[in-house]
Amino acid sequence: MISALGDSLAQVHDSLIHGLSAIKPIQLFNTEGLGCPLAGEIVDFDASKYLGQRNLRPLDRTSRLVASSAQLALQDSGWSMEMRNTEEVGLVLGTMFCSAHTISEFDRRALEAGPAYASPMDFSNTVINAASGQTAIVHNLKGVNTTISTGATSGLQAICYGADLIRSGRARAVLAGGAEELCFESFYGFDRAGLLCRSDTSAGDFPIPFDARRNGAALGEGAALLMLEDLVLARERGARILAEIKGHGSSYDCSRGHDDKQSVAAIAVAIRQALNDAFLLPHEIDCLSASARGSRSGDRREVEAVVSVFNCQTRHLPVTAVKSMLGETLGASGPLQAAAMLETIREGVLPGIPQLQQIEDGFPLKRACAGPKEVDVLNGLINSTGFDGHSCSLILSRYED
Amino acid sequence: MDRQIVITGIGVVTPVGTGCEEFWSNLLDGQSGIAPVKSFDTSAYNVHRGAEVKEFTAGDFVLNLDAAHLGRASQFAIAAARLALADAGVESSSLDQKRAGVSMGTTSGEPREIERFDDSFMSGALDRIGPEFLALYPCHVIAAHVASELGFAGVNTMIPTACAAGNYAIAHALDVMRAGRADLMLAGGSDAFSRITYTGFARLGAVAPEVCQPFDRFRKGMIPGEGAGVLVLEPLSSARRRGARIYAEVGGYGLSCDAHHMTAAHPEGAGAERAMQQALADSRTNAAKVSYISAHGTGTATNDRLETLAVKRVFKDLAGRIPISSIKSMLGHTMGAASAIEAAVCALAVFNDRVPPTINLNDADPECDLDYVPNFARDVRVNVAMNNAYAFGGNNASLILRKSVMN
Repeated sequence: MISALGDSLAQVHDSLIHGLSAIKPIQLFNTEGLGCPLAGEIVDFDASKYLGQRNLRPLDRTSRLVASSAQLALQDSGWSMEMRNTEEVGLVLGTMFCSAHTISEFDRRALEAGPAYASPMDFSNTVINAASGQTAIVHNLKGVNTTISTGATSGLQAICYGADLIRSGRARAVLAGGAEELCFESFYGFDRAGLLCRSDTSAGDFPIPFDARRNGAALGEGAALLMLEDLVLARERGARILAEIKGHGSSYDCSRGHDDKQSVAAIAVAIRQALNDAFLLPHEIDCLSASARGSRSGDRREVEAVVSVFNCQTRHLPVTAVKSMLGETLGASGPLQAAAMLETIREGVLPGIPQLQQIEDGFPLKRACAGPKEVDVLNGLINSTGFDGHSCSLILSRYED
Repeated sequence: MDRQIVITGIGVVTPVGTGCEEFWSNLLDGQSGIAPVKSFDTSAYNVHRGAEVKEFTAGDFVLNLDAAHLGRASQFAIAAARLALADAGVESSSLDQKRAGVSMGTTSGEPREIERFDDSFMSGALDRIGPEFLALYPCHVIAAHVASELGFAGVNTMIPTACAAGNYAIAHALDVMRAGRADLMLAGGSDAFSRITYTGFARLGAVAPEVCQPFDRFRKGMIPGEGAGVLVLEPLSSARRRGARIYAEVGGYGLSCDAHHMTAAHPEGAGAERAMQQALADSRTNAAKVSYISAHGTGTATNDRLETLAVKRVFKDLAGRIPISSIKSMLGHTMGAASAIEAAVCALAVFNDRVPPTINLNDADPECDLDYVPNFARDVRVNVAMNNAYAFGGNNASLILRKSVMN
């Protein structure tokens, strides 16, 4: 994973449990005239640190994020280039925009200088599957190569798609996850839509999920990929197994987020489907990584959906919301939550929600708090909800020999 | 995993006609939808023709959402989806909402929204861009708008794998249905005519000045287009229960990646070959049983030559006996919609035992020496059809459609 809080599971998890926030004033572009000047930016991101001295010019920021995190995931899982030459490895990437910046720059250059001066190299990156295509070239990934775009749930949805490829025997090994770059074009869209936190009010500078003072999300960027394999084959090759994907579910709110009741119902359907798919009951879930990002209505809907599934057990459920520290990384968000969950399962510590002081009245989240807490997690639930109707849930479980 | 999934409805919005009937009859007649570009001023370009959808009124199809506040690709997708449901004889109110899903592909999503952003940016009037940009631009809105218009609350996926996206979306819908995650899926692709895409292909020198002539010795390139294609997929059992007309069964698919170059195909067509082989294996089809191939057939020098090579590597001495056509000779390249529309063509070919022609094919390229059904439609018994699509990023997708036991 490549994130604003580090590039290794251990480092990121350590930052999260210490409540370090990546959300700071933006350096990547000029924020003059924007309502929110903050984001979880990866400052000084240098892809050559991961990819060596190869020519990186054809790769835009999103592609570099993905290719770099793929390098780390391949290394970590032991899928060497030698193995990749004989066995097909797939790549399933979730992204909301891929690179809106490349698309826009390509167009603006043609508008300014004439179509004859448009850049052919940039053109190849204007397609929304550019990052997965570029990454396949860098790492010789010849298996299934799919890009999934379902808004902010893209990344978690990509993991579900990847898991189904393994389950159905279509693939032996799939890198699955998501990525999103921070860029002016998408940031401007969120800013104008009024979805970002305001730093000029008493609510403070942070997005504070579940807090009564919350007033919006902060955007972020990053990439995270998980290597998914069939259990039997993974054991055969002597792989270290981090966790098992137990089940997943997804649904869509036809009101596109305009209707409270339908939104809540859609989130609940995704959670219930994930439980059914995993053959688990609500009381068997040991912690929740919420999608909550500090949005007034979004956080409340997620809580109501959780309550509708977990009923009175909600108060016993340890809850974290890592978007409080990483920001809303859109396509990368679900996979980053999943990566953090792997470490929670292994280390037995769940990150807190920094700045959380006054949980909103009526949210029965007795076990959501500012600091980290010790947990013994067999089954962890990850929620991912979009801004306009998509919901996806995934259950990761401890693997025991 | 052995559930049979069939196509019971087809909806298309294309440069040669909207609705299955008009489209199919124009296609068999060899009509071309290629004309001077009207979407934007092409005077700064050295090419001027495109395959746009003419006389499309979104309000005819968008009944629940506000058509004026939808991008063109969403409008096309909704139209194709409504046409497909009507063709299948399915009332969306008769479905369990949570078990009805949408899987769509696209190349550019809603390109006009970001083009508007860029125009405003360049003229120093970015404040003209409001909250609608985020609501209309990200590509996932296409599948989302279809679902909202029709009340489909199940699986909702957008697969933006460029020019092979339609096949990817149909393949995903097949897996969703086989895994029992939905009762009915709308699957296809949609793309709106895009200045950005046109500029890019023109800059690559890939756009033909006049006509699209796949496999012809004098072919000069592809012609960018727009449109949408949507199929209704349901299990054979439910189709039989309601007495539905079954066009074809979706037999299986193969996906592969060249991992070679972003815009150029593998020099030996290796990725395309693997996708075809996997599709045959997945659908347990002997290569000798394939009776029709809908080619990617863009009309560029390299695509047509490499695609021919890949087909020969898969089908060996049988290759010359399989009718192959490229409807891009008539529709141009409708981008993410292309392989969805071509899947519709395969379904119609299987159902009607007729295959559309490759028009403008008068002088075959010596390196393209297969049977491309030149200029005239043909009656052929089509038991098994293969739909091939290739994309930027090295993404390859092959789909197998075949006669269902009920055909």
